[in-house]
Amino acid sequence: MNQILRQHAEQSFAEELDALKQSDNRQRPPNWAMSPWAVATYLLGGRLDNGFEVSPKYIGSRRLIETAIATLTTDRALLLFGVPGTAKSWVSEHLAAAVCGDSTLLIQGTAGTSEEQLRYGWNYAELLSKGPSTQALVQSPLMRAMEQGKIARVEELTRIPADVQDTLITLLSEKSLPVPELGTEVQAVRGFNAIATANNRDKGINELSSALKRRFNTVVLPLPSSADEEVAIVSKRVAELGRALDLPAEPPALKEVQRVVRIFRELRNGQTEDGKTKLKAPSATLSTAEAISVINNGVALAAHFGDGVMRAGDIASSLIGAIVKDPVQDALVWREYQETVIKERGDWKDLYRACRDHD
Amino acid sequence: MADSPFHLFGIRHHGPGCACSLLQALEALNPDCILVEGPPEGQALLEWLRDPELVPPVALLVYDPKDAREAVFYPFAEFSPEWQALRFGLERGLPTRFFDLPVAHRLALDASSEPLVEDLEASETAAEDPEEPSEAGTEDPDNEQRRDDPLDWLGRAAGYSDGESWWNHLVEERGDGLHLFAAIREAMTLVREESGDDHWTAHRREHEARREAHMRKLMRQARKEGFERIAVVCGAWHVPALAELPSATADNALLKSLPKRAVEATWVPWSYPHLSTASGYGAGIASPGWYEHLWHSAPERRAIGWVAQAAQLLRAEDLDCSSAHLIEAVRLADALAAMRERPQPGLDELDEALRTVVCQGEEAPLRLIHRALVIGERQGRIPDQTPVVPLQRDITERQRAVRLKPEASRKTLDLDLRKPTDLARSHLLHRLSLLGIDWGEVQRTGRSVKGTFHEVWTLQWEPRHALAIIKAGRWGNSVEEAATRRVIDAAEHADTLPALCELVDRLLLADLQAAIVPVTRRLEDQAAVAGDVPQMLGAIPPLTSILRYGNVRQTDSGLVAHVLAGLVPRAALALPGACTALDDEAAGAMRAAIQGADRPLRLLQDAEFEQAWSQALMSLAESATCHALIGGLAARLLFDAQQADLETTARRLSLALSLANDPAPAAAWLEGFLNQSALVLLHDPSLWALVDDWVAGLSEEHFVRVLPLVRRAFSAFAPAERRQLGERARRPASVAPLAMADTAIDLARAERPIPLLQRLLGLAP
Repeated sequence: MNQILRQHAEQSFAEELDALKQSDNRQRPPNWAMSPWAVATYLLGGRLDNGFEVSPKYIGSRRLIETAIATLTTDRALLLFGVPGTAKSWVSEHLAAAVCGDSTLLIQGTAGTSEEQLRYGWNYAELLSKGPSTQALVQSPLMRAMEQGKIARVEELTRIPADVQDTLITLLSEKSLPVPELGTEVQAVRGFNAIATANNRDKGINELSSALKRRFNTVVLPLPSSADEEVAIVSKRVAELGRALDLPAEPPALKEVQRVVRIFRELRNGQTEDGKTKLKAPSATLSTAEAISVINNGVALAAHFGDGVMRAGDIASSLIGAIVKDPVQDALVWREYQETVIKERGDWKDLYRACRDHD
Repeated sequence: MADSPFHLFGIRHHGPGCACSLLQALEALNPDCILVEGPPEGQALLEWLRDPELVPPVALLVYDPKDAREAVFYPFAEFSPEWQALRFGLERGLPTRFFDLPVAHRLALDASSEPLVEDLEASETAAEDPEEPSEAGTEDPDNEQRRDDPLDWLGRAAGYSDGESWWNHLVEERGDGLHLFAAIREAMTLVREESGDDHWTAHRREHEARREAHMRKLMRQARKEGFERIAVVCGAWHVPALAELPSATADNALLKSLPKRAVEATWVPWSYPHLSTASGYGAGIASPGWYEHLWHSAPERRAIGWVAQAAQLLRAEDLDCSSAHLIEAVRLADALAAMRERPQPGLDELDEALRTVVCQGEEAPLRLIHRALVIGERQGRIPDQTPVVPLQRDITERQRAVRLKPEASRKTLDLDLRKPTDLARSHLLHRLSLLGIDWGEVQRTGRSVKGTFHEVWTLQWEPRHALAIIKAGRWGNSVEEAATRRVIDAAEHADTLPALCELVDRLLLADLQAAIVPVTRRLEDQAAVAGDVPQMLGAIPPLTSILRYGNVRQTDSGLVAHVLAGLVPRAALALPGACTALDDEAAGAMRAAIQGADRPLRLLQDAEFEQAWSQALMSLAESATCHALIGGLAARLLFDAQQADLETTARRLSLALSLANDPAPAAAWLEGFLNQSALVLLHDPSLWALVDDWVAGLSEEHFVRVLPLVRRAFSAFAPAERRQLGERARRPASVAPLAMADTAIDLARAERPIPLLQRLLGLAP
């Protein structure tokens, strides 16, 4: 039994990556592990010539993924933009895993991210005893990616303070990182590029300067366009997570998944699917990722405290928790939804009762 | 078919790739006769193609001079294969002919088959709707192919999302030469065989058969005349039917004794937005601007030229777009094309590259690109000497005189009526709109902050206006003459006062001096005999607005004052009588009429009118027989105009809502009294106190009885207004006025900041 809670993309999908590499005979950009076509197949799924089935990692617009991959072949870095929970980091991880076989050259952006974390730092004990030397240098993931011609990932770019973001401007255009203390520089090897993710909904973000924006091609990842697509995403991810987290329960009932997705979509769009009733929208984002976590919670509850089959009662509490983020406003929104929509749907009686129990 | 003189070129209407290949093919063939799909009625007009002033996009308009609603447009763009074929023929002096079924037959057939239309699909009848003379209704023959596009079938079979992108990729964005037409013919033969006859209605099939029979007939004729290399340019769909020429008998039977109408033809300017499918044009294309770009630019410079255009456009709109953006956009488009295994980026790739690189994933700039570049705003031109109705010529002259160019894009025009040019423009626009040519639309006038001398128009020239002009041509040969006659005629046929008043209003706006006397006389006559009170009331607002705003426009409004002076007292006298024995519906209409007339009358500040009017209202308010809704309204209007004091009004309110009354009239009275204006109730303390005191003074039993009535009267207000009313009611009724009275103003303290304020405002010495 593997002790790692969550494996990297290149580990959990190693088999698929290998199969793709073997059957891939198209032109590869320098230092890429596979051709852009193979990367697209890896992300979007498909059947290889030898019959090997590649599972889809991203369910959605093919054009977006193609644009993202094509961007990585050019000079520009890729910026994945979107509301929270639209698979930005997920896509970024899988792109890096497929393009260079390594999704770990990662900078997790926070408000406290400093310039050293983007460029390089020093091992101070070494620095004091021996003076500046390559041994004393602590390389950032970005620097390593440049040296090795790999893809660096910057998560939550907009959380990084604006002055630290500026480090990236010349780095991304000159493709070199000078180390004045040693009188040297690191020049990026072919194959180097960066994928950044940022969300455009959250509070407290540092707006990107237009100079930095110009270094990036922006791909906006949308919320799923149809209910069916969203159900597919949620079911698939829950099954995978269940596997990763060793949940012994039955695969989640499709009916429950559909219900959760429907509730989320209706609240997000501010009206019921049939377009007949107008609804108040809650303050929470209600992304697909939230739906996945609700279902996952339900599966865990059913496995550990129930009979293993997920029922309305198992999802009710996490459902309410996901929707009611503001105890006053959202509670009102949810109560209204519960009384006007859930109650009226004949086959949703069980969910109504379960939700009522939580009041 | 080696010895056949015919060479068939199946094309897609407005396809630049087709046009390009067609030109190559024609060069190679060197034909001695060219037949083009198009109306034979347009034959004489082909000479105009030599005129450099005829700039596409233009359309050949074939219409019935007796009824211009019956018309067919044949649009051509510069990149239309038909256009290129016609030019090719004319430049070389070859016999170049249109060989489609004459429109004269088509119109007659459509009209005669109308009783049969009922069993056809609804959408088809809608498309033939004679009431709608727009391009959607009557146009190029292929509007049904869109619904059931054979290209779509082929495209889907090839794994594309639709026929458009498949065709773009395979034909329009490539430079194939002669093989193209053989391939198209093969594909279409297959599609026609597969589809059979199922996908069209019987009526439609018959029509298509007739068209193809006529095409074959003219082909035979050309062969008989001894031409040896005849190029036949027609829609791809028809190619299989024209490949073989069976004996003439069957075709002649189909074409025998077809009904016919007299038609005329002319050129009219067309525009790219109208060429696009979005305009409802059946054989439309999704991206005229892109097609023009394809036609003009060499394949290797295509992407660069396109993004450069986009950059120009974005910069003109103050959006950030540097050369570095463009370089990256072209590179990304190339990379995308490579990923999709296309030899070079198409519109899809360029679109996505621009979205990602330049627009930073945002939709708004992309929409701009789509409107201005992908569709484009180009408008065609026709030579001044083209045969047009005299009215059209006059309109063109006037447009030039006041410097207003007809443009396809939507434009806002702010006219300052004190300036002579702007006044002339306003007159022209009003005259055109009287003639039914709705080139401009008034957005707002007068009452805006800018004052009464401004008039804001939205202008958009549409090809259908050409039809409207032809239709209006029967009224006269100049704009002024035609508009005058049209107004006088309309006045003679108008039988209600409000309609007449509106006409007077419009003719004054349009400054039609010659029409003023006849139309106002007609108005006076009508007003004198009119007994219908709502009509008289309805006439008051337009007439008063003429009186009030007339001066700005330097129009003579004395006549109107005269009409009004006769009308108002008569309406006021007849009003009380007209308000008895009304049912609820009639009372509602009457309420609207009274309300509409009240405000303008008060605004006129004419003592005589006001007195007559107040008297009428007074008798309504006191009348026991008048409908309660009107009674309530009258009481309220009098109160608002300060013609009735608080006490009187309170008495009326209490009387109308006494227990002895039936609930329904009482509720109606209250509704009329509240007059749908919660805001006034909220902010007018005396009115509030009036209603509040009444409610507070009710006994419990009475309150319970009237509660439903009050609720009903308040139910007409918006929820937010009701909530505010509730909040207002929660406060003690007299808080607001009292608070003001309590504050004793300390003059000495109040004076202290005055010097500073004076300095701030620049008033200090």
